[in-house]
Amino acid sequence: MAEKKILLVDDEEGIQLLYREEFEDEGFSVTSAYNGEEALKLFREDPPDLVILDINMPGMNGIEVLRQMKEMKPDLPVILSSAYQEYKQDFGTWASEEYIVKSANMDELKAAVHKYLDD
Amino acid sequence: MPELRKDPILGRWIIIARERGKRPTDFIIEDVETKGGFCPLCPGNEKTTPPEVLVYGREPGMPPNSSSWRLRVVPNKYPALVIEGDLDKQGEGLYDRMNGIGAHEVIVESPSHDDRFAYLPHEQMILTFRAFQERIRDLAKDPRFRYVMVFKNFGKAAGASLEHSHSQLVALPVVPRMVVSELDGSLSYFKYKDRCIFCDIIRQEMQQNVRLVCENDEFVTLTPFAPRTPFEMWIMPRRHDSSYIEQADHTLSSLTDIFSETLRRLDACIPGIPYNFVLHTQPLRSSPLEHYHWHFEIVPKVTSIAGFEWGSGFYINPMPPEDACRYLREVEL
Repeated sequence: MAEKKILLVDDEEGIQLLYREEFEDEGFSVTSAYNGEEALKLFREDPPDLVILDINMPGMNGIEVLRQMKEMKPDLPVILSSAYQEYKQDFGTWASEEYIVKSANMDELKAAVHKYLDD
Repeated sequence: MPELRKDPILGRWIIIARERGKRPTDFIIEDVETKGGFCPLCPGNEKTTPPEVLVYGREPGMPPNSSSWRLRVVPNKYPALVIEGDLDKQGEGLYDRMNGIGAHEVIVESPSHDDRFAYLPHEQMILTFRAFQERIRDLAKDPRFRYVMVFKNFGKAAGASLEHSHSQLVALPVVPRMVVSELDGSLSYFKYKDRCIFCDIIRQEMQQNVRLVCENDEFVTLTPFAPRTPFEMWIMPRRHDSSYIEQADHTLSSLTDIFSETLRRLDACIPGIPYNFVLHTQPLRSSPLEHYHWHFEIVPKVTSIAGFEWGSGFYINPMPPEDACRYLREVEL
């Protein structure tokens, strides 16, 4: 069976390295994007099975990226992953499947990914 | 000469910076580009919201959470407060704390993404006011909650994160400080005068007729004597009552009429002006209060609050309410 593809969108190199390692160990294929424009380009060219999307990024923020992704593929699951709680007040986040606050413990994020990708 | 004015209910002073001589055209409203595209509140996207807690206008035979509706109320998908659990009130030395228990709901006021609340037809707008009543009554059954704050943010500057017309309510385990201050202030007046201060305000404003924007058989819209912001308005029932949820449907119909006219006058003065409105009503499960009077407050967002304002509680308002009232009354609809 082909590996399920995760598109990881985050401007922080440390997050990219950590998440890539964790999810590749779980048997997923991970593609990285470091900003919104790059994410949308990759999303169009090679749609993933799931997106993990940071919010606070230079240029286009994650909520606008989310809006455009859902405009293209409303059923493709997107998990918002942010260090900040306050973006929850923005109803634009509702287009996502989950909003997970970043922490050292990745169990919640991993559980969410499996929820949407496991057959 | 600038002027200090005192809110007679709260005892709050504000500054009218009269010589700044503002006109409606002086308030620059930032042009906000409408985004369009995917909207979680639009029909067809119900699965992006939590399951609805109230719906009006669903076609017979259509299942819950389907796309056929005229108004829909859903819990906030990512709430700041949680509905499950006990309050667990505790003291930590002189400090007080409790669990963050509450209910946060979103009232989607129209199925059409581009509809603006001020311009909704009567039969659509009244649904919002009915929904407020129905949700407050339902949340009042929960003994953990003491107050339901109903509010609307219109425009990005006023805190609206989505263009689709919506308002919100938050059920809280405490009565908010602002409402407590109104209750205390109005009780103090009542003990002194044996009359409701809101009723006295209505009577005086109708007599003086310099801050009366519009009226109908059941309501008046006033610019308050000591407004926080330019074009601040209060919509108040003429008949004394402390409880919004006790109002009959004919009163909600009159409320809809005056709300529509009030917001359209505001928009005609300053097109696209962002605003917030809040409902102030008596606390949940309270007996009728002789000293308190439910009302809506509409607060346009045209000035910024900086260190002096939030540090002191003083507001600086460049627009006297009498001038604001004149502009609002005279504008062509």
